[in-house]
Amino acid sequence: MQGGIDVYGATDVGLKRDNNEDHFIIAGIRKSLDLRQTSLVDRSAFDALRGPEAQLLVVADGVGGNVGGERASETAVQALAEYVSRAAGCFSRFDTEAEQDFLADLEGAVRKAHERVRAIAEDRTPPATTLTMVTFVWPRAYIVHVGDSRAMYLHNGRLRVLTRDQTMAEAMVDAGALTEEQAARSSLTNRLYSALGADEMVPVVGLVDFVPGDVLLLCSDGLTKHVNDQRIAEVLATFGSAEAMTKALVADALAGGGTDNVTVVVARMVG
Amino acid sequence: MIQKKVCMVGVFGTGKTSLVQQFVQSKFSEKYHSSVGVKIDRKVVDVNGSAVTIVLWDLAGRDEHEDVGASYLRGAHGVIYVADGTRKETCEQIADLRRVATAAAGPVPGLIALNKCDLVGDWKLSQADEEALRANGPVFRTSAKSGQGVEQMFLAMATVLVAPTQGAR
Repeated sequence: MQGGIDVYGATDVGLKRDNNEDHFIIAGIRKSLDLRQTSLVDRSAFDALRGPEAQLLVVADGVGGNVGGERASETAVQALAEYVSRAAGCFSRFDTEAEQDFLADLEGAVRKAHERVRAIAEDRTPPATTLTMVTFVWPRAYIVHVGDSRAMYLHNGRLRVLTRDQTMAEAMVDAGALTEEQAARSSLTNRLYSALGADEMVPVVGLVDFVPGDVLLLCSDGLTKHVNDQRIAEVLATFGSAEAMTKALVADALAGGGTDNVTVVVARMVG
Repeated sequence: MIQKKVCMVGVFGTGKTSLVQQFVQSKFSEKYHSSVGVKIDRKVVDVNGSAVTIVLWDLAGRDEHEDVGASYLRGAHGVIYVADGTRKETCEQIADLRRVATAAAGPVPGLIALNKCDLVGDWKLSQADEEALRANGPVFRTSAKSGQGVEQMFLAMATVLVAPTQGAR
């Protein structure tokens, strides 16, 4: 348990794939100043440096069906851990200006990770990866999303999807060229119009405030292919810990066919 | 660079997200997506030769489950209240939304987007209703679908936000 948030993550290769192209991280970000001794009487200036801890949660799903996809997601996650920990240096005292800058820094970190993924390929076609990243500074979760991994949250028993899949099928529905039913049957559901490493990378930035009892879920599409929203809501509402929720959802994805790698990260707000 | 936080506020389904999308990306989506939390976009505009970054906070609409998130409004420099001309009740809530926003953000500039003017034949508003809306701020007729009035509305907000205040030094 970290700073009022019970967090757990797991990834599984699934039942049909030879390798796991998903990666995830769960990390705490802290101030680095560690006051050992001082002659100062007033130590209040140091209080903020012991202040709230930020959490970084990332899920990335490599695209391509070969080792390149695995490398892309690994590279993206590593790059983000590096860039976001720098950007989050001011997280304990957000005024309006600082918060706008922080949001821009998060988006900038994703753009840098995108460049890092593109650099893998040298002169060949680069691999690509989805990315769903949440930087959590209680009670606010800052979300940057690219591709078709998802962030959802359960609030007052109601499951809401925080992200929109950046697939060609969704784009066609938006344009009025396909109905939702047609899109669901279309092979375009597997084609991303935006991903890290791809020619097009469109980060979407958002935020949401949490209250105790809320549950946040990040997942790759290996979960949502096999487990519907109703079942996800049921698991998040009834299981007692993030670890139990995560394990139950991964098990459900495998029981449902396990046709893809599956990654789940759950954060349960405990106040 | 000057940076201003502008919140989009209104009842669900009035077109807040579509207005932002039309302004930032010159696009309109046929599919309705209910927003969750806040979606953030930014656009740099030119106001009298100065570059101004408008950071748009698109707040989830008020509905039977959720009220407008007051915590998201704190620190806003301006608020755009969005109403749907085809749904009179969305206009009737503007005064209350303004009260909520003012309590959270203070007396910051606000203006009203009276949206869906491409459907003006289906509007349920009388001239008097539209006049009454002006008690809450300047009213811009907009269409997120056609783009009519959208650029003008956002530029008007940007201009107001950087205008010098009488008495300020």
